[in-house]
Amino acid sequence: MIAKTLREYRRALIGWTAGIGAYMVLYVSVYASVKESPEVYGPAALAKFPEGMRDLLGGLQDFTSGPGYLQTTVYQLFLPFLFLACAMIVANRALAQPEEAGTLELLVTLPVSRGRLLLRRYAALVIGLAAVAAVTLLVTWAMAEAVEMEVPFGRILAAHTGVLLLGLFFGTVTMAVGAATGRKGPGMAVTGVWAVLGYVAVTAGQSVDALAWLKWLSPFHYYGSGQPLYNGLPVGDYLVLAGATAVLALTAVLAFDRRDVGV
Amino acid sequence: MTGMTAVVRAEGLTKYYGRRRGLEDLDLEIRPGEIFGYLGPNGAGKTTTIRLVLDVIRPTRGQVHVLGAPSRDPSVRARIGYLPGELALEGREKAGDYPRFLGKARGGVPPGRIEALAERLDADLGVPMGRLSKGNRQKVGLIQAFMHEPELLILDEPTSGLDPLMQQEFLAMVREVRASGRTVLMSSHVLAEVEDVSDRVGIVRAGRLVAVEDVSALREKAVRRVELHFDAPVPPEAFHGLPGVRDLRVEGASVRGTVDGRPDALIKAAAKFTVVHLASAPPDLEEIFLTYYSDEGRHDDRQDAP
Repeated sequence: MIAKTLREYRRALIGWTAGIGAYMVLYVSVYASVKESPEVYGPAALAKFPEGMRDLLGGLQDFTSGPGYLQTTVYQLFLPFLFLACAMIVANRALAQPEEAGTLELLVTLPVSRGRLLLRRYAALVIGLAAVAAVTLLVTWAMAEAVEMEVPFGRILAAHTGVLLLGLFFGTVTMAVGAATGRKGPGMAVTGVWAVLGYVAVTAGQSVDALAWLKWLSPFHYYGSGQPLYNGLPVGDYLVLAGATAVLALTAVLAFDRRDVGV
Repeated sequence: MTGMTAVVRAEGLTKYYGRRRGLEDLDLEIRPGEIFGYLGPNGAGKTTTIRLVLDVIRPTRGQVHVLGAPSRDPSVRARIGYLPGELALEGREKAGDYPRFLGKARGGVPPGRIEALAERLDADLGVPMGRLSKGNRQKVGLIQAFMHEPELLILDEPTSGLDPLMQQEFLAMVREVRASGRTVLMSSHVLAEVEDVSDRVGIVRAGRLVAVEDVSALREKAVRRVELHFDAPVPPEAFHGLPGVRDLRVEGASVRGTVDGRPDALIKAAAKFTVVHLASAPPDLEEIFLTYYSDEGRHDDRQDAP
């Protein structure tokens, strides 16, 4: 079942790996010129953006160092959201999309319990996303080496692990809503709204005291506040992400187990 | 019950979709080794019943046991073959890979069986699933339902999309299943499709089972037109007052009439003379079937308002 499910995901996974990989090649290679003329890119980068935009991009205090550039252009906003979109789309293929298409009907009549069916299709999602993360990690590291970014592999690995955990979290959100409703739309809506609000809460929202507490509900807080590119693996934060993901997956099992399929 | 466990036993099985009634208080037993035709117009509750039996949907009330186990028990489904009413097949995988995958998940298929069924049904398994024609899709559905020789076959509108030749082949496959002592539940909205193979038919309308009949009993109730020709004129009084014979007309050497149920009396009366030609229209079961609908329908509509 896991292998068959992976075959269903395959094209989406390959496409997203290629897309994210291309993004990495493009942006990391630009660092070569940033590094050559830091006096142009440092102040220029700061002055170009209005303050609100700077907040959204994580502050832009450090654009010209290797970790600073990588954080700003890759790990701050674009890579997590690209990976999140990939996770959301593939997660919908676990249950909601086959249910809407009608292909889930035969699968639920196999001699496999609902919970086990869901967990196998979920396992394929985890494996698939891990593969996308692994390939894009290697691309990022190879490019960082090529332009002499001077960021150790361990730090890139730590940041990339966060991307995977964040993607898994939101992918699990999508799948859980899909498992409970049997439709793609609600899962994408919940995931999209949570992601955007969560991101704003830990960036622009941090300057508004009344909203500061919201960051505790934001997966991005656990993703980024430990600054893994500078400080290495934020074990506690990542465990929170992983734990929340596991709870969501369990919720999905319970919701799917008691539901009419395909009505 | 005479010691034999029912293959499917529904008790008070009821399903509401919100406020809409899907099925109301169904009591049904399907016996081992029989072919049960489940008949009704579209939307009557056939697919709802089938999906309850397979635990795709859950009953509002009541319960259903399949092969001795509650429908919630997943292990029992390895012994069932299921053809959904609207079979969806998607993707770029070859059509042959899908039955193989399903077969593995159900605990294995004898080697060569899928290919043999494909040949028999003239199905092309080399085409990507998403590009199968409607007929080929139905054939893949039949292959995956029959391939593991399940004890119970549940077929929802199995003949839709099949050309007449394939329908005959399919009916032969169903008869072979019965000959090997296994059980078939098949639905249809057309009696003619199932009357030739079914041992019993259940008629469902507006969510209620309105009748369960032996097909042979149904045939006995059927009206048929009969025409006899003799080598010489026959005396009309020889055919007067025959039980079950109506509208009898004797004209010289020919006799025409309508027979309710068994034609036995008429045949015995005719046997005293030399019969040169006998014609009998097949019994119109469809007509009886429709009588059930209209009678129960009027009765049922009154109860429809919640």
